[in-house]
Amino acid sequence: MGLWLTLAGAAAAVNVVLLLLLVGIWTRNYLDIGSKHALGLAIFGVLLLAENLLAFYYYVLDPQVAQLLRSAAPVAGQAMSFVQFLELAGLLFLAWVTWE
Amino acid sequence: MEAVLWYVLTGTRGGPNRVRILRTVDDRPRNANQLAEDLDLDYKTVRHHLDVLMDNDMVTSSGDDYGAVYLPTDRVQHHWETVEQITEEVD
Repeated sequence: MGLWLTLAGAAAAVNVVLLLLLVGIWTRNYLDIGSKHALGLAIFGVLLLAENLLAFYYYVLDPQVAQLLRSAAPVAGQAMSFVQFLELAGLLFLAWVTWE
Repeated sequence: MEAVLWYVLTGTRGGPNRVRILRTVDDRPRNANQLAEDLDLDYKTVRHHLDVLMDNDMVTSSGDDYGAVYLPTDRVQHHWETVEQITEEVD
């Protein structure tokens, strides 16, 4: 269980870095272009950033909550941390097309 | 096509400069060197943006030769209203 927590925490941390980068680009584009599409992307990025900060808090800063969730429902706990890996894959791809 | 326009022009790191390039070649077709001069951008930067714009079928070149001029594709012309809407605020 400890390994799952560590990996999920690491994935959440990388997600936070990628999202800071993406939100930075989208916010700059919004200020530059003023289009609502850029604003929408920036808001989406900020909300997903909040989700990942919360995950990081649970998995790394306060792992007791994550341990509790896992011992109560091990499958659900693993599925929840798996979400962080799916997000990481999605964000890596999005960062690649955005940076290009 | 509209979603591609929105993302390439407002979602990416190079979006604002791509808006400027697209509007400049719509004004009249230009080659990469002229674009670099007119927009005060690095030649390599302009080349990269043109490659991305071509990848997304937004600009086309008049030939493969050095100095080929670039112009908006028919598809982009067809959706020019969207481009105008996206680029209203760009100088």
